[in-house]
Amino acid sequence: MSNLEKYDQIFCDQFSLENGFDGEKVKMNDTEDWDSVGHLNLISALEDVFEIMFETEDILALDSYGRGIEILGKYGIEM
Amino acid sequence: MFLELDRKNKHNVAMIDSNGNQVSYGEIVDFGLSFQSVIPKRTLMFVLSSNCVGAAMGYFGAMINRIVPLMLGVSMDRELLENLIGIYRPEYIWKPADMAEAEEKILLREYGYVLVATGLTGYPLYEELSLLLTTSGSTGSPKLVRHSYGNLEAQARNISAFFELDDTERPLLDLPINYTYGLSILNSHLYSGAAVLLTSMNVLSPKYWDFLKEQKATSFTNVPYGYEILKKLRVFRMNIPSLKTFSQGGGKLSEELHKEFAEYARRTGRKFIVTYGQTEGSARMAYLPAEYALEKCGSIGKAIPNGRLYLVDEEGKEISEPDVVGEMVYQGPNVTLGYAQTGEDLILGDERHGTLYTGDMVKTDAEGFFYIVGRKKRFLKLCGYRVGLDECENIIKTAFDTECACVGNDECMDIYVTSEQEHDEIRRYISNKTNINSNAFRIHYIEQLPRNEAGKILYSVLDNRNKE
Repeated sequence: MSNLEKYDQIFCDQFSLENGFDGEKVKMNDTEDWDSVGHLNLISALEDVFEIMFETEDILALDSYGRGIEILGKYGIEM
Repeated sequence: MFLELDRKNKHNVAMIDSNGNQVSYGEIVDFGLSFQSVIPKRTLMFVLSSNCVGAAMGYFGAMINRIVPLMLGVSMDRELLENLIGIYRPEYIWKPADMAEAEEKILLREYGYVLVATGLTGYPLYEELSLLLTTSGSTGSPKLVRHSYGNLEAQARNISAFFELDDTERPLLDLPINYTYGLSILNSHLYSGAAVLLTSMNVLSPKYWDFLKEQKATSFTNVPYGYEILKKLRVFRMNIPSLKTFSQGGGKLSEELHKEFAEYARRTGRKFIVTYGQTEGSARMAYLPAEYALEKCGSIGKAIPNGRLYLVDEEGKEISEPDVVGEMVYQGPNVTLGYAQTGEDLILGDERHGTLYTGDMVKTDAEGFFYIVGRKKRFLKLCGYRVGLDECENIIKTAFDTECACVGNDECMDIYVTSEQEHDEIRRYISNKTNINSNAFRIHYIEQLPRNEAGKILYSVLDNRNKE
């Protein structure tokens, strides 16, 4: 599975999204279940799958599907 | 006056919120006078609160004038709110200005909040009744906890004593003030002349941390779930020199988290204070002094000043030896009057006489420190919020054509339904009604609920099924 496929799969699992969802619309506090609990689950899943450990500021900044891709880039995960 | 607010330095800042509002002690006292001119009598008022100066001023305006507030969360489900209005008939509602309806008559407008009259005629109120809080903010149960004036005085005095509060404190208060634990922080710190930093921002928002740092917060308080978030955020690596004290309440902290925060506090010269309480005991009943945080890891400590804790066995006999589990009982001036379930109950007097059976199963060690082992009552603490299992069953059974039984732990509620359909809908529905992330609920199909001969649901069978 490519990194992007893994990334998308995590979003599908965490927020009950259908395959082929519109990433532009997936945002914290907007997407159903992406609240504090959902956020921490998302962070844990990303850390597990990509074997990284986020800095605090990145955990706080990761508030949309798109931002997530940018932030993962900082950790050497290219999509 | 309430919390001796008129005896503080009137120029000192009492509250600052993250929307940029700020009030002094003098302004609170003056606002109390404006409130009196609009509501000149003792009556019931609902406060739809978030953690901001406006909501808190409505609360103080009421308390100073012996108007009885029921504190409710501003984002509470509309239907549940209407239900509470119908049951308790408040004559007034203090709510955010943007929630005022066009046809409503606004009696007072201040700090982004408005006071509106409902046109309802209230029920008679017991003379010592000071405040009403819900037992379970999330399921919207009409059951309320009745507090006396003495309860709140004892709460403010005792909490400020064991936290050693003074007017240099600047606590960050993000726990909702419509929740006993959040409100106790507000009361005890204003009693001590401190400046409370109010916010409803999420701990996961960068602005939350900006507010905390800019305002030089000296302490913060959190529930077990909040401590999990803080750990995940690597709070141990953050540089926040103003923070001196962390405290915890609102459910049992895992021993692992307790240890990590206690070690962090010791390493960095801070205080970590675990507390124990319930709405029924006006917030706190036990605390573990910071110097024991590591040595007595996992313990809730001992009774707060002026209180007494002890354990009883099934026959109600006091247990005197250590390591024997019994129900914990608390005695003290902060034990509330009792519950209200209907408007007529607001006239009821003191039904507990200072003794509260906590429903928590507890043991002590040889040195008299208390350790929570389990719970007698049927509720969970999901994401820090108390959620009644029976209430959830009722909510689901009312809305869906199914039998239902709820069990689980503080991580997740397991909902057993006899309907093979609509599992996703049920999960969404209960998540919306309780305002808790739907991942905290799991729906399981069961052909028939296990029941005993008397027809009572055998929850232990479902509990065991879960563990398999």
